[in-house]
Amino acid sequence: MLARAHAFTIDGLHTRHVAVEVDVRAGLPSFTIVGLADAAVREARERIGAAIRNSGYEFPTRRITANLAPGDVPKAGPGLDLAIACALLAASDQLRRERLDSVALFGELGLDGGVRPAHGTLAVAQATRRAGLAAIALAGEGAHEASLVEGLEVAVVEHLTSAVRVLSGGEADPLPSPRAVAGRVSCAGAAEPDLADVRGQHHAVNAIVIAAAGGHNCLLSGPPGTGKTMLAQRVASILPPLSRDEAIEVTRIQSLAGAPAQRLAQRRPFRAPHHSITAAGLVGGAQRGRLGEVVLAHNGVLFLDELSEFSRPTLEALRQPLEDGRVSIVRARHAAVYPTRFMLLGATNPCPCGYAGEGDRCGCSESEMARHRRRLSGPLLDRIDLLVNLQRTDASGLRERPLMSSRHARERVMRARERQAARLGQDGISANAHMDVRMLHAHVRLDERGEQMMLAAARRGLLSARAEHRVLRVARTIADLHASKRVRATDIGAALALRTDTGLARGGAQ
Amino acid sequence: MNARAGDKDNSGACVDCLRRSWLLSALSAPLDCCARDRDRLMALLGLTDEQLIAAVGGRRKHELSAQYAAFAPDRLRRWRHVQALCHHRHGYPRLLSGPAAPHLLNVAGGTDRLQALAAGPVVALVGSRRASDYGMEMARSLARGLAASGVTVASGLAEGIALAAHTGALEGSGRPVAVLGSGLSTCPVARRPLLQQVMREGCAVSELPCECSGRRWGQLASQRTVVGLAALTVVVEAHDTLEDLAPAKIARALGRTVAAIPGRVTSPLSCGTNALLMDGANLLRGAQDALELLFGLDVAQTLAVAGANASTQSRAQGRARACDERTCALEPRLQRMLERVGAGNDTPQRLADERTDADEVLLALSELELMGLLSRGDGGRYVPCRPLAPATGPAC
Repeated sequence: MLARAHAFTIDGLHTRHVAVEVDVRAGLPSFTIVGLADAAVREARERIGAAIRNSGYEFPTRRITANLAPGDVPKAGPGLDLAIACALLAASDQLRRERLDSVALFGELGLDGGVRPAHGTLAVAQATRRAGLAAIALAGEGAHEASLVEGLEVAVVEHLTSAVRVLSGGEADPLPSPRAVAGRVSCAGAAEPDLADVRGQHHAVNAIVIAAAGGHNCLLSGPPGTGKTMLAQRVASILPPLSRDEAIEVTRIQSLAGAPAQRLAQRRPFRAPHHSITAAGLVGGAQRGRLGEVVLAHNGVLFLDELSEFSRPTLEALRQPLEDGRVSIVRARHAAVYPTRFMLLGATNPCPCGYAGEGDRCGCSESEMARHRRRLSGPLLDRIDLLVNLQRTDASGLRERPLMSSRHARERVMRARERQAARLGQDGISANAHMDVRMLHAHVRLDERGEQMMLAAARRGLLSARAEHRVLRVARTIADLHASKRVRATDIGAALALRTDTGLARGGAQ
Repeated sequence: MNARAGDKDNSGACVDCLRRSWLLSALSAPLDCCARDRDRLMALLGLTDEQLIAAVGGRRKHELSAQYAAFAPDRLRRWRHVQALCHHRHGYPRLLSGPAAPHLLNVAGGTDRLQALAAGPVVALVGSRRASDYGMEMARSLARGLAASGVTVASGLAEGIALAAHTGALEGSGRPVAVLGSGLSTCPVARRPLLQQVMREGCAVSELPCECSGRRWGQLASQRTVVGLAALTVVVEAHDTLEDLAPAKIARALGRTVAAIPGRVTSPLSCGTNALLMDGANLLRGAQDALELLFGLDVAQTLAVAGANASTQSRAQGRARACDERTCALEPRLQRMLERVGAGNDTPQRLADERTDADEVLLALSELELMGLLSRGDGGRYVPCRPLAPATGPAC
């Protein structure tokens, strides 16, 4: 007899529909799974056999063939267990097939017949909805995540017997309370770091707010212990909240990466990979479907601490994600495109020892400094709009009142973003950082003194054409923060003070 | 003699001196070993050729003597843009004398130009290779001011102060003289653009054959040429080490005036200069002081007599006037800001206080940077580009 069930497999960020066909016929007892299954799927044979027997059903001692169609799509992960088991039970007439055609099955089986959640629940639920299926049956832990998809019935099945009952038209198990799930699933409950924790460093705090307001990539440079990392960790808290679409994207990516969600992601992701990361780790593609850090930082912040310590190929690999907002990974056996619209934050020491500019503490030679500068300069620095130099604050600075709280900063950022959206909406972008040259000419109007300053800068050879565009973009953002229609001289002055082609270089004596 | 017979060709150097130059490059490695001690190096460079072979030739003595005897000037590769000038010729810098002075100079940029430059006023700017932003800025502005006044700036081509000196001199549309410690064609890649520029505008000089690679002794030896060319030696910033203070010692031995720019007493980077000042070196605050040392008090009058090129001079004076006007016409808020930066508040963080808005601070800093009165140093700190105007106020 033949039976067919619906399931989905995950390929990177995307899901593919899989029709699970099981055929049971007379012959030597065997159980074969065909259809480009990976190791986890092939091991399903053992799990399914044990689960069926331990749930009180009969495992047919006949020739069993399970086919996972389409045959040319590689299937990965243990999420197909439940579908294969149910199709097998249906094929051996132990299951009435009332709803087998309209329910997607997603879950891993334990040897006792219990159903476990698998990664990527949200993506699978969305795909189920898109495929026109009425319901999805899955383990209780993933139920809340799946119920984020509107218009989809979520049937909780904690055990294989529950699945059989649901497919035969019976009741599903009760939805576990979120609290009970939270106990089992580790849920980050720590309070979000707040900008008010930062004492002193007002210049840097202001700069961070500018970066967040315009979505500008930003490099923090300063000696060890000046609060670069501390500031960076607080950037996510002053970015505007996720829109619903963005939140679903983020939740989906997090779920695919293995963090089950109870509700839509509330916070923007903040990814801070260690500098030993490889290019494949950063952009993804180490294995089939393995997401890179740039994808995990989508709609959030990618923080690269000790930027100069990252290997050259790793930093070069960042160019496409930064430029296009997506990364396309092509390997011998697979190709995929992932969204990567994130804000890049870098932190670095001003020199190899870290103390350049701190009086005589720096012991680096001129050639060491030059090497350090070379590592940072080049294509990556071209994509960074703001350079913030931090200096040590003295003891009194640490007792100062904090400049602003995250809540206050976020309000300012949101107001600035609204202004940008109103202006740039018709161009299809939402932040000043993404303005191209044409938009710069259209939207950046300088006042007279500002014009003079830009002219003076060009005359003195301080700015290349590209650097000038960066300054204008940042100046536009600063004007937005001050709710000014025109870009004033003060905005240009601040943008010039934060420009990138300085500060790492020694006073132009080259 | 045979050597004199060779005078008639156009090379500008006699065979003896060419041979001497070749010998130094052949003995480069042993010289480097023997000459850890600067005084010993000077003694060695004062020896005759035969004595030199005997002193440092070691096991290769006889081989070298044979090669020395068989030397023919054709063996030295000729470079199109390099001319040789030996101390027997007319046009060899008059000031470059003394027992250890180089016998021959390979000159890129023209021997005529070198002759003209060396005949005019020359100031040597020396200092340590690892300098602070302050030192770099001072070297640059001093060189700029001197160059703009028609004074030739001579310096090495090492990192640090020397580099800043050439940059400044070129900015002041001057004609700097760079003395290399290696052959003219073996300059490190990083400094090649600067060398090219120096060769275009001024002169690059080395006593070694062009293809001879650089060694430590060469750097030390080049300093005696730098100092020898100049009437005044200015130590801009120096550690308290023998190497950094060597030029001052040579200058004193030659009887030339030594001046130094004061630095912070707490900074090891200026220990050397401060010690020199303590020992009686002249204190310099800027180009004006250097000109006064060179020409006496009446700078403007002497300059006219100094025989500097008239067009250079008028251009230079125009520039100097423009600079002064820029500083004098400063708005009070910018003047205040400049003073505060000069007083050590060199970051936006320190400059912003209750009275001044952070935006205003950044605006003023950027404006000053655009005027060329401030630049950025290590760690993004702001560094004043010229010494503060005298306390009497803007009297220009």
